[in-house]
Amino acid sequence: MTVSPKLNPAYISAMSTLLISHPACLEHLTPLGHPERPDRLRAVERALEAEKFQTLARAEAPLAPFEIVALVHPMDYITAIRDATPKEGMVRLDADTSMSPGSFEAALRAAGGAITAVDEVLAKKAQNAFVATRPPGHHAETARPMGFCLFDNAAIAARYAQDHHGIARVAIVDFDVHHGNGSQEIFWADKTVMYCSTHQMPLFPGTGAVGESGEYNTVVNAPLRPGDGAAAFRAAFESRILPRLGDFRPELIVISAGFDAHIRDPLANINLEEEDFSWATQRLMEVADRCAGGRVVSLLEGGYDLQALGNSVAAHVSALMQG
Amino acid sequence: MAQKNNSDIGQLPFERAIEELETIVKRLEEGKVPLEESVAIYERGEALKRRCEELLRQAEARVEKITLDATGKPTGSEPLDVE
Repeated sequence: MTVSPKLNPAYISAMSTLLISHPACLEHLTPLGHPERPDRLRAVERALEAEKFQTLARAEAPLAPFEIVALVHPMDYITAIRDATPKEGMVRLDADTSMSPGSFEAALRAAGGAITAVDEVLAKKAQNAFVATRPPGHHAETARPMGFCLFDNAAIAARYAQDHHGIARVAIVDFDVHHGNGSQEIFWADKTVMYCSTHQMPLFPGTGAVGESGEYNTVVNAPLRPGDGAAAFRAAFESRILPRLGDFRPELIVISAGFDAHIRDPLANINLEEEDFSWATQRLMEVADRCAGGRVVSLLEGGYDLQALGNSVAAHVSALMQG
Repeated sequence: MAQKNNSDIGQLPFERAIEELETIVKRLEEGKVPLEESVAIYERGEALKRRCEELLRQAEARVEKITLDATGKPTGSEPLDVE
């Protein structure tokens, strides 16, 4: 994932799918046995080495400038996370979330990848983009790290698209199996950003009930029950999320793409398979085609079974490439 | 990864099982369970719920047995195999 966009012919031919990553995201280390581990990204990279992905445009994630992260998180919080970075070993920020010496750079590159994806898609240099970085983001609240997350990359992408590109309405669609409490909290009282989520309930973090709908009814929660599979997931999309998205008419769709609703995932009890992620991706691209000029930016969130993660990302990115 | 061993649940009396289940439901609802342990705790809750349901079924079967046999003269409470 080191090819400069300018040197990649597929990239120049334009309106392709852009894959963004950075090796520094492997340097965010977590305690032994922790599910959110560097091997996740290696599994994604391996899956995207297949022949069919050779036409992907590829770019490296830059470091996000503090002032852009600060569109979502207070500067005090950003510097507190920076200052919490250990010189060696690891520090725990809570029961789930920890930092190693490489974590802060990884987090800035995860946010930076989201920013670059927005830039490239809105400049029409790519039709859509997938950002394969870690740590993930959707549990990070305005001023609180949580659930493996330091900065909310999807929220930063949405705010950046509005602030720097004049986009009026952004929708974040989150199919990670855990509810994105951070994204919900950040946009709770913001009528310009719709947050939609399918997730297992009960499960961490405990938020995401149907009744949680935000100050302006722009939060759309579609919880699934443990043991639910493709039928319930697709019904939640078709009956709750897609109609609301269509009414909202987003000018950009940001996907919080977690793949832990897969049947093999050890951290949840939802029974999706690869084709369900393809299906969801295609439905979101249809909405984007109708009202957002096809613009989709997808960011990796969770997914903790390496085989399921690799295969699911491959299915998701294949769907994006067929846009 | 946190893995709870749920093999003790088969021996728990009803009161203990329901008490632990209520604690789990409260913790899950309050979001006080770490992400990594969340699914293990949920699964323990499911096992506790099954244990409570099993004990209730057994109790109901015993009650039913007394009721059905009471033809004027109670015949006692002979245990009923509900498996």
